Amino acid sequence: MADRRYETLVLIHPEQGEPGSKELAARIRTLIEEQGGTVSQVQEWGFRDLAFLVTKQRRAFYVLFEYRATPKALQEIERNLTLMDPVLRFISVRQAENAPPAALRPARRPEREEMEFEEGGDVDLVSEGESS
Amino acid sequence: MARERTSSRPPRRRGMGRRKVCRFCADKTMVIDYKDARTLGTFLSERGKIIPARITGTCSRHQRRLTVAVKQARTVALLPYTTAYP
Repeated sequence: MADRRYETLVLIHPEQGEPGSKELAARIRTLIEEQGGTVSQVQEWGFRDLAFLVTKQRRAFYVLFEYRATPKALQEIERNLTLMDPVLRFISVRQAENAPPAALRPARRPEREEMEFEEGGDVDLVSEGESS
Repeated sequence: MARERTSSRPPRRRGMGRRKVCRFCADKTMVIDYKDARTLGTFLSERGKIIPARITGTCSRHQRRLTVAVKQARTVALLPYTTAYP
């Protein structure tokens, strides 16, 4: 079966912390390889603020995987990702064969200071999103 | 960035008035990528809604791709669905 070029962006629960997230990223990498995929790039974006709350979290550790795999393998990879509890969300996108490899970390906002938040109803309506 | 808009809204666009151009056609190096929330954000309203091509001047081909990219970005929380939550 012909293999295809995919990329998967995974959001890891902030509870894992940086070391835990990296470990999980390594695990996902082996998962892809176990399925016969060849990973060409793993990009750790680090912690990023989410545009909205996901399972009550406001940040997540983003990791991007670029690899080649068969459609069957992708299915299996995705199935396994849904089973991983610390994975908040992920998205897999097929890449064009001739597309350049993902540039290192597309435009990232400067690290925002960790702020104290009260519980509930504290989402800042004004300073929303990435729109500039 | 998404300037185009304000300056080019003539009352009657017959004859004169600046024709809006698709930003992706004008700049071939610009790619539509769901990971690039910065760029995509310029095609969203303050409320997080996708601005119609009629206003931004994006051509239909690129608008279609843009829409897909915005939706992909939303699933991974790079862009908001809306800002109207509590």
